[in-house]
Amino acid sequence: MNDKTAVERADVVAMIASLGDRTVAEIGDQIDSMQLAWVVNQAEQRYGVEIDLTDGQYARMGTVDGAVEVLREAIAAVPR
Amino acid sequence: MKGPFGVYLCCSFFPWEVSAITASEVLRTGSSEWVDEVLLNGPDNGVCLHLDGAPIARAALRRLVVGKQDALVAAGLREGGCAALNLPPSLAYVANLLAVWRIGAQAVLLDHRLTRYEVDSAADRLGVQVLVGIGGSKGSPLAVFHDVAETITTREGRPAATPHAVLQLSSGSTGPSKGIGRTAADLVAEVERYTRIDGVPLPGERIILLPSMVHVLGLVGGLLYGLHAGVELVPPRRLTGDSILDAVGSGATPATVLGVPFHIGLLNSVADPRRLPQLKRMTTGGELVPATVSAAFDEKYGVPLGNMWGMTELGVIATDLFGEHRPAVRPAPGIEVRESGGELLIRRPESPYVGLSDPARWADGWLHTKDAGVLDPSTGLVTVLGRLDSQVSVGGLKVDLTEVEHTLTELPGVEAAVVLYDKEITAFVQLTGDHAEQSVAVALAERLAGYKRPRTTHFMRALPRTTTGKLVRDRAVLRAAVS
Repeated sequence: MNDKTAVERADVVAMIASLGDRTVAEIGDQIDSMQLAWVVNQAEQRYGVEIDLTDGQYARMGTVDGAVEVLREAIAAVPR
Repeated sequence: MKGPFGVYLCCSFFPWEVSAITASEVLRTGSSEWVDEVLLNGPDNGVCLHLDGAPIARAALRRLVVGKQDALVAAGLREGGCAALNLPPSLAYVANLLAVWRIGAQAVLLDHRLTRYEVDSAADRLGVQVLVGIGGSKGSPLAVFHDVAETITTREGRPAATPHAVLQLSSGSTGPSKGIGRTAADLVAEVERYTRIDGVPLPGERIILLPSMVHVLGLVGGLLYGLHAGVELVPPRRLTGDSILDAVGSGATPATVLGVPFHIGLLNSVADPRRLPQLKRMTTGGELVPATVSAAFDEKYGVPLGNMWGMTELGVIATDLFGEHRPAVRPAPGIEVRESGGELLIRRPESPYVGLSDPARWADGWLHTKDAGVLDPSTGLVTVLGRLDSQVSVGGLKVDLTEVEHTLTELPGVEAAVVLYDKEITAFVQLTGDHAEQSVAVALAERLAGYKRPRTTHFMRALPRTTTGKLVRDRAVLRAAVS
């Protein structure tokens, strides 16, 4: 579960879908600020780390693909 | 304490030692002394706020307020003037708000997430004389309390047109946002109402503060009640479940988590929460809490999950802080509720609306909540069933879909638009000619705050219309047209 490479697009889509009780098929590519906070929270619980992001990284998390990329970077950067 | 023109001067004298005075008594003079006596009164070393673990004592907050007051007066703000705060929840916001009130001016609260366009439009419309904002970054989306330095801009405005201490904007059903005003007496009455509700945090306890202090739950239920009652305000370092629990565990005294249902979700998602005997209760407002969510919270934390019903126009209306009547709530002391034609009405002597005379919203001393609901005459309990208009709640923030649709329709290149709530704000847009979709998205982002914007936008060659040419709003028809 704590595999540093484990963040997949499907994981992030599933996290977003769990906010507001939607299906993964209903999730678009854009992420708003509330979804962003939710995704970071869910990722912290799932991967057991605190994810500290820079302003630049937050800015890149406006899309699902961007969020996947940033979470991979951030989780890989957490000291083990 | 007042200068020759009725302006509060910077001085070292404070009436802090006034005691045994009720909140409403100080309002009889109609002055701004209520700030000192209702909100800032108390022991010098009493802690008001904990920011990142650093306590801020009442004496320090008073000094900070006086400093902000000096700066605002230097910028031209006077008693009876009008200042807008466009700040995120922060110490700067707290101190500037109290300073504006202490000057005897009106504070217009503008959510920091509003776009420049929305801020300028509101400031022009309301005649704001002094705008307190921040330059540059709007801060991390995970920050609950922001560390910001304010900038003060003097504008060509006019003195406050109404006697309200605070003006808040509510997403408008007729296009632009509507102004909602509350007098100091009304704010103090709400603070007093909180003191009479069983289950609120008690003096010496803590509030783990999650909702924005720009909106009524965080403003009055958190900031003003906390300052008045001597309840410490503790915003978590970050907007995550672990961080909320860290805030609870950061002190020894009982802690109430104040938030909206989104925040229950954060706590419910904590995988293996540690036991925190300080956690006394969680209280939420903003929208109904699904039964599955409350059950999951109860299983995980085993403390009461309280519920509050309120609105910007008058604050807290009814509560169920022990989770005994879910989903029903009991009217707060002094609040009179009646049901008319399926809508819940609240007695309110004067209309809270600024520049708006609409008998469908306020008439004959009764405020129309636009909430459908039932009042059980045998128990006095009220059950809110949902909205009767186009207002929706996004993470506790009210958004009127008509405002979104109106803004979208006004954009260059948009022929027609329908905005619905289909688990999220969803727009169906018909463009003129070959106008680019991206340019519409960019223009909308300039005019509407992110939390108001559609999460999904469907661009269509032609929107479905009735035989008489009216836009079809049936979501099934629109979904089918998209697919």
